[in-house]
Amino acid sequence: MLSDKTIEEVEALKRRYPDPRGAILPSLYIAQREFGWLSPEAFEAVSIVLGVPKAHLRGVASFYAMYRHKPVGRHLIQLCTNVSCMIFGAEDLVSLLKNRYGAEVGGTSPDGRFSLVIMECIGACEAAPAMLVNEDFHNNLTENNITEILEKYK
Amino acid sequence: MNYLLKNIENPNSFDVREYEKAGGYRSLKKAVEMEPAAIIAEVKKSGLRGRGGAGFPTGMKWTFANADPKFPKYLICNADEGEPGTFKDRPILEKNPHLLIEGMVISGHALRAEYGYIYLRGEYPDARDILNRAIKQAYEKGYLGDNVMGKGLKFHLTVHLGAGAYICGEETALIESLEGKRGQPRIKPPFPVNVGAFSMPTIVNNVETFSNIPCIMEIGPEAYSKIGSPDCPGPKLYCISGHVEKPGVYELPMGTTLREIIYTHCGGIKGGKSLKAVIPGGISTPVLPPSNIDCPMDFVSMPKHGSMLGSGAVMVFDETVCLVKVCLRALKFFEHESCGKCTPCREGTGWLRSILSRIEDGKGEKEDIDTLLDVSGNIVGKTFCPLGDGAGSVVINFIKHFRPEFEEHIEKKGCKYKK
Amino acid sequence: MITITINNKEIRLERPVTVLEAAKANGIKIPHFCHHGILEQWGGCRMCLVEVEKMPRLQTACTLFVTDGMVVMTESETISNARRSVLEFILINHPLDCPVCDKAGECKLQDYVMQYGPTAGRFKEPKIRHPEGLNDPLIVRNQERCIMCTRCVRMCSGIQGASAIAVTNRGNHSSMEPFSGERFDCEYCGNCLTVCPVGAIMSRLHRYSYRSWQVTDEIQTVCPFCGVGCTMIAQVRDNALMRVVPKLGLGSNKGLLCNRGRFGYEYVGSGERLKNPLIKKNGKLQPASWEEALDTVASRLKDIKNSSGGNAIAGIAGARCTNEDNYAFQKLIRGLGSNNIDSIARMGFAGGQRIFEGMLGPGVTSTPLSGIADSDAVLVVGGDPSEVNPVLGVHIRMAFKKGAKVITIGHAPGLGRHRTAGLLPHPQADGVVMGGLISAILKDKKSLPGGNRPLEEKITVMHLPSADDAAAACKLSAEDIGRLAKQLAGASSVSIVVGREAGGNKDTAMLVSVLSYILNARIYLMSERPNEQGLVDMGCLPDMLPGGRPLAEEGLRKKCGASWGIDIPADEGLTLMEMIQAASSGGIKAMYVMGENPAFNLPDTKNTEEALRRLDFLVVQDIFMTETARMADVVLPALSWIEKDGTYTNAERKIQRLKKAISITGMEDWKIVAEVGKRIGLKMPYGKAADIMKEIARVSPLHAGLTYADIEGGDNLWPYKGEPHKNWFSFPELSADAFTSPAEEGLCLMLEKPLFHSGTLSRKSPALNSISPEAVLRLSPATASGLNLKDGDFAKVSTEKGSLSLKVKIDRGIDGPAAFVSNNFEGRGLFSLTGYRLDPVTKSPLTEGRQISIEKE
Repeated sequence: MLSDKTIEEVEALKRRYPDPRGAILPSLYIAQREFGWLSPEAFEAVSIVLGVPKAHLRGVASFYAMYRHKPVGRHLIQLCTNVSCMIFGAEDLVSLLKNRYGAEVGGTSPDGRFSLVIMECIGACEAAPAMLVNEDFHNNLTENNITEILEKYK
Repeated sequence: MNYLLKNIENPNSFDVREYEKAGGYRSLKKAVEMEPAAIIAEVKKSGLRGRGGAGFPTGMKWTFANADPKFPKYLICNADEGEPGTFKDRPILEKNPHLLIEGMVISGHALRAEYGYIYLRGEYPDARDILNRAIKQAYEKGYLGDNVMGKGLKFHLTVHLGAGAYICGEETALIESLEGKRGQPRIKPPFPVNVGAFSMPTIVNNVETFSNIPCIMEIGPEAYSKIGSPDCPGPKLYCISGHVEKPGVYELPMGTTLREIIYTHCGGIKGGKSLKAVIPGGISTPVLPPSNIDCPMDFVSMPKHGSMLGSGAVMVFDETVCLVKVCLRALKFFEHESCGKCTPCREGTGWLRSILSRIEDGKGEKEDIDTLLDVSGNIVGKTFCPLGDGAGSVVINFIKHFRPEFEEHIEKKGCKYKK
Repeated sequence: MITITINNKEIRLERPVTVLEAAKANGIKIPHFCHHGILEQWGGCRMCLVEVEKMPRLQTACTLFVTDGMVVMTESETISNARRSVLEFILINHPLDCPVCDKAGECKLQDYVMQYGPTAGRFKEPKIRHPEGLNDPLIVRNQERCIMCTRCVRMCSGIQGASAIAVTNRGNHSSMEPFSGERFDCEYCGNCLTVCPVGAIMSRLHRYSYRSWQVTDEIQTVCPFCGVGCTMIAQVRDNALMRVVPKLGLGSNKGLLCNRGRFGYEYVGSGERLKNPLIKKNGKLQPASWEEALDTVASRLKDIKNSSGGNAIAGIAGARCTNEDNYAFQKLIRGLGSNNIDSIARMGFAGGQRIFEGMLGPGVTSTPLSGIADSDAVLVVGGDPSEVNPVLGVHIRMAFKKGAKVITIGHAPGLGRHRTAGLLPHPQADGVVMGGLISAILKDKKSLPGGNRPLEEKITVMHLPSADDAAAACKLSAEDIGRLAKQLAGASSVSIVVGREAGGNKDTAMLVSVLSYILNARIYLMSERPNEQGLVDMGCLPDMLPGGRPLAEEGLRKKCGASWGIDIPADEGLTLMEMIQAASSGGIKAMYVMGENPAFNLPDTKNTEEALRRLDFLVVQDIFMTETARMADVVLPALSWIEKDGTYTNAERKIQRLKKAISITGMEDWKIVAEVGKRIGLKMPYGKAADIMKEIARVSPLHAGLTYADIEGGDNLWPYKGEPHKNWFSFPELSADAFTSPAEEGLCLMLEKPLFHSGTLSRKSPALNSISPEAVLRLSPATASGLNLKDGDFAKVSTEKGSLSLKVKIDRGIDGPAAFVSNNFEGRGLFSLTGYRLDPVTKSPLTEGRQISIEKE
């Protein structure tokens, strides 16, 4: 179940929309924050607070790329490999993350430190390649500086 | 003269006090004294066209919404900047958020809408925080709330975070998403101006479009309509990435040529290499060979030169780039982002990607190019929304301009650009 | 008037419809997958692309509305190419496993590929694979065959209202998920199955068993489970029932079915069906010949009549039997000199209807189902329509979706997501809330409508509680009651849906009538069995003759008796529970039970059983060995619903034809009854069901002249071709405590009317048992955690009457301190735990002794 404080947060969100369903996307983010990923319990909790069928929530959540449908590591790397990043070597960075940390695309490193997700354009094309680590933005990545950056995330 | 990126060199440009110091919210002050219809008339007169990609005249959209007798009306800012190569709205969102808020409050007054939503892409967490802070400040300053500027006008603004779906940039899909549904486009008609969010009349405009409103108020529609191309005037944000010396976002008069953008403003091709191809308006717009770059970058001229203005996202490729690979990456994107609603796009994008993948890997067969063209042709014009059209036309145009490169991949069984 | 041209043919239209509809109405077929007449538009499959003059792109005919002067071509080379390409796209990830697909032969994809091609594939890449979904007892999902038309999703959320199916993921990784298990809220209506155009959703019941073209006969009949009386098609092959399917647009159900109707039919083929007559010899039931059995029944009944008088004989008629069966049955009992004839309709249906008709006029519950979905307010009291009459429940959900205010009084979890407000007073205090609502509405309306003077006189002296007092008595908010009263008063079209519990309680029923009167509302009486109305209309009542004619009116009684060649006794007979009481005290010595299981289905099971045991002679006529049959002296095997002709009368008071679809050896109920009748000297010369209908049409003034041809021709709504009875006004007194809520607190035992079962018949349906195999104790999460109980724990539920050990099921649909137990599973029925008192007017048993204790085991 969601904590009382979180339920309050969702109730406040509901009031921002003429129909409580408007609060579905933000509430899924909140549940993801609280449960770490959208577990069956997370869907159950949101379903109860919003009064929306679970099937609907699952259908909605699975449509969007930024909801997590399995547990993730301590840090989530969201690396862009779209064209502007690709031409500056983003794909080599994917291999590097796999070789160095054991983080497969869509998977988590064996030590549970990093999960890796490939993104479609994160709007940082002027300083490609770029990534988000959790909610921190990093750009102008190279094979050298990416490991340095990731050192900060234990 | 910068209108949209004014003051962004100021490290605190996102703060309401800095924005006010630079003349911010003066247009709102002017607008609240005006009748809503008069504002719509000015916008119409200015000739402003929507900056999201389709270039629909904003004044006309507003007039349709205004004519619908149903209330409440909703105002939505499309900040789901997802077209690959596009990052033009980001400086406004992160550095000049009050310009957007001011534009939206004026628009809300003009359209008698009391609730606004900024549908922001989930990939911009910084922008989310900055916008929320700016909105809080605007409430404190009385630019938002139940009594805007003490004039008894009501306007509330909420940031609604998307969650990673390109298709939500399409306005009806965006509305579905705002309503808590899968972001799939709706049948049109009815159009959002009549039946939009929560079944009520809804105006969806892009970040840059709303941000042009204070400028129109400030300098007046006549002066505004004299900026840039006569058919689609105003300042335009172009964002340039890829192999240029100085990539970035540039505010230039609408209709600046592609050549001028690349060579004058961006300092030419990086490292003195030669230009191989340009995608002028984001990944869904047709690729252009170097011979076609003397086109004015506006909604009217670009189709005449074989492409589209799109979001004004220019992607520049030098001689070292494998265009089969670029085309493949584009199709991976379309396959990943196809919403799945209509058959040709859902099945066709994946099919095109598989064939391109084989060609890039040296497993292409002679008839593959014809199949690519035929399958693309079966998608274009038959899909539910423009996403499928974009996917098909990307393939058609890459082959149209760079067919030998595809043939070479097939004949030589591989890619010569691979390291 | 709109004039358009399709394929060079000029078409005139009254109103703007889609191109597809316009074409269809004019015999022009446009292929389509995602479009479906009763579902929301989708426009996704792109199969219906057509050319429209002045439009640059091909247009989807299913979404494009016609405008005057539009010129459309539905076939051309461009269109054929587009359709072929759509089919090619669909086929790239479709398995082409038609040889092992049950849908082959009735598959739209197969048909269209035959018509448009492609004839060969050029897709060289690997197909996207999905495992077949076999983890469901009833529905087989095959995602590879799915073409993403989303019809099932739109059916499930848009019509059925269950919202148990979702498209998950996106693009070419989209898939339908999940139908069943307990993750979501599948109601197993199977309506998704009806609309699936390909073999992606199929019934497991006939998997791999036959091809659609091997069906030898399709017979239109009526569902045997509840009083909605859904029209269905029985598909037969080699004299075996293969499956039942609905038909779009047909019947009150308009193509919908519920789980019981769609999947429950297999009991017909059960190996446990009774085949031979049985006679108890030396304390054991033993096979006997029909002659011996019928002779025994006739002679024993005659003996008892001669020794103790006709009044010592009682008959319980069958709510699953046809009008013809029941007519013959009451004639037999009356022929034996007894008016002791009643049925399970006594549990609330008959009494409620009597009160409504007495206060508002005859035929007041003859209300078409379609009226519900068109209402702008629906009030539900005394039951959960989504469980009792599921298709009626769907209509309420549709009304809510269209914006109607839906208000429930009492538990109705099936409407949990489909209502404006749910009021939950003490289970015996529905009337208090109703009283509060009525006084608030009257306050709002200021005056009475003025059509029914005698009723209005009574209303003015009713001592209604104010909304505040009612709210205080029921611990509800007065504000809520006031608000809901305003919503009801402000609605222009109101439906009141009444369940058994409200119908059986005269006070609640009277208040329903008053509310209906002041709101000009239609009343819908829920009916748990397929022919409860038929029981009433056929005179299976101790005080009524066929056609709703009171026994007390001598002229009518004499006339009726004369046509049967008997003297009908003048004294009213005993009602259902009175018969049981009389059996217990020795007043009733013989009982004939047709198609009913009183030993299990009546409250206070133990006492009922003991009463039946005291009878000198008990005859049970049924298709299964029920609890009651086991106690019988003679058991007579009957034919089931699909094996006979006849009629049912549904809750709308619509009389509908049952048709024999398969032939097996045996006798229909009416035939057995007639055989007994002949042996006691009654004139019952019936060769076929239609002969009885002829007699009904002669004897019952309500059915005067009615024939099967009339019924099939649509002349089937009350008052048929006859005359309703004229002297009808009656107004019983409200009880002194009508507006007081019982003070008792604590957990309350409630009867669960399970969606997946119906009486004791559904026990013999393997499909229904597979989704609901056992009796459970349903508790709200709060109640369960208060008792330290988890899902799957066992708990002992005890009342004054006894105790049961039941598995705990936590149910989020339940509010408040209520514990739900069903009365369907052998040895595990709620009625073994509760007592009853008789309502003084309706004579319905009202449940008593709801106070329970629950202990974890």
